[in-house]
Amino acid sequence: MDKLGIEPSLLLAQVVNFSIIMFVLSRLLYKPVLAMLEKRRREIEEGLQLTAKMQEEEEKMAVKKQKLLEAARKEAAAIVEEAKRQGKDEEKEILALAHKEAAAIMEKGKAEVEHVRETMEKGIRKQSVTLAAGMAERLLARAMNSQDRHALLKKQISELERSV
Amino acid sequence: MPHISLAAEKLGYFWGLPITNALLTTWLVMVLLIFLAWMVSRNLQMVPSRIQSLTELVIGGLYDFFSQVTGKHIALFFPLLASLFLFIITANWVGLLPGVGTVGFFKTHETEAVVPNKELAVEPVQDSHVSPTDAEALPETVSSEEKEEFVPLFRGATADLNTTLGLALVAVLAIQYFGFVTLGGHYSTRFLNFKNPIEFFLGILETVSEISKVISFAFRLFGNIFAGEVLLAVMAFLMPFIVPLPFLMLELFVGFIQALVFSMLTAVFLNVAVSHGGGESHHG
Repeated sequence: MDKLGIEPSLLLAQVVNFSIIMFVLSRLLYKPVLAMLEKRRREIEEGLQLTAKMQEEEEKMAVKKQKLLEAARKEAAAIVEEAKRQGKDEEKEILALAHKEAAAIMEKGKAEVEHVRETMEKGIRKQSVTLAAGMAERLLARAMNSQDRHALLKKQISELERSV
Repeated sequence: MPHISLAAEKLGYFWGLPITNALLTTWLVMVLLIFLAWMVSRNLQMVPSRIQSLTELVIGGLYDFFSQVTGKHIALFFPLLASLFLFIITANWVGLLPGVGTVGFFKTHETEAVVPNKELAVEPVQDSHVSPTDAEALPETVSSEEKEEFVPLFRGATADLNTTLGLALVAVLAIQYFGFVTLGGHYSTRFLNFKNPIEFFLGILETVSEISKVISFAFRLFGNIFAGEVLLAVMAFLMPFIVPLPFLMLELFVGFIQALVFSMLTAVFLNVAVSHGGGESHHG
């Protein structure tokens, strides 16, 4: 032991020295440096996560935009379709109304024509009776005396009046 | 021929504690490490400065490296392992600085009785070589009782067995401590097991192996670093220019490897200790 230079007091001194080194370094060096490394690692991780999140959000937004556009387009198409349909319906209705009106006008016209015709017929008949009576009177005046003439005329007229 | 001593030379005494040159270098290493740590940690920033980047590289690298070995226990073990690595590598490299081992003073010994304890050549054959050259270098007037001896002011801290043995003791005691802390009373069955004779015998082997760990830790580090210093001293003596450079490079590498081996082995033994009884409990 002596030749190797080993002395208990020196041995103890070196153990104490190393213990001091270990204590001081772990307080002064390892703890803060490792904490700093860990902090930086966490910060980088957070940054990367945030970036990924932002990207995801952006993609989501794009999809949402696309969806909204699609929906708007669809709605517009539906509105146009609806408008067309309504237009057609209205057209039909208007046409139907027009037809009806036309029919009514025609009917009215016919009725009027009929009425006019009837009135005219009546007038013609009356005139023809008067005309016939006048002709008969004139003819009979030449052939018969007044008495016969009157009797016959009366008979004829009454007959004629009955037939009309 | 340079004087080579296996033991660290004593510079003086302070309250009964012998102050050796290795102890002085240890204090220097401590001051250096603590000063550097203080320099870096006094303003740690999110965007690191150069020195902070370097420190983070070293500490983060060590953390990742040791966590590969110790897994989930890394937070508990890291201060010990990193301190072992940083202290040993700094001590090894400080021992290679110019001036360490060469700057010193001559000390006169009055009594011969002290000299053999102080001086010990590596081999007896060399001893016989050293003595005549020493005698040549010494002035004629010096008597056999009054011998002048060169005492270096600094000596590589890990080139002293007190340092390496101290580190080894701390490491092995820490292994036992963490074993008990993690496994509780169950850890004692590693050394004392009465379940069956085989387990009992294995317990004895484990006990011996823990003691041998201290010795192998201490002598591996001391042997490598001391041999390196002797090698460098001899090379510098034979050819002071250019030739020692490759050896200096080699010793830088050895210093790094020994620090790595010491801390790595501690990590492995720690891992074995805390996983005792969990399947791969017994090791060779």
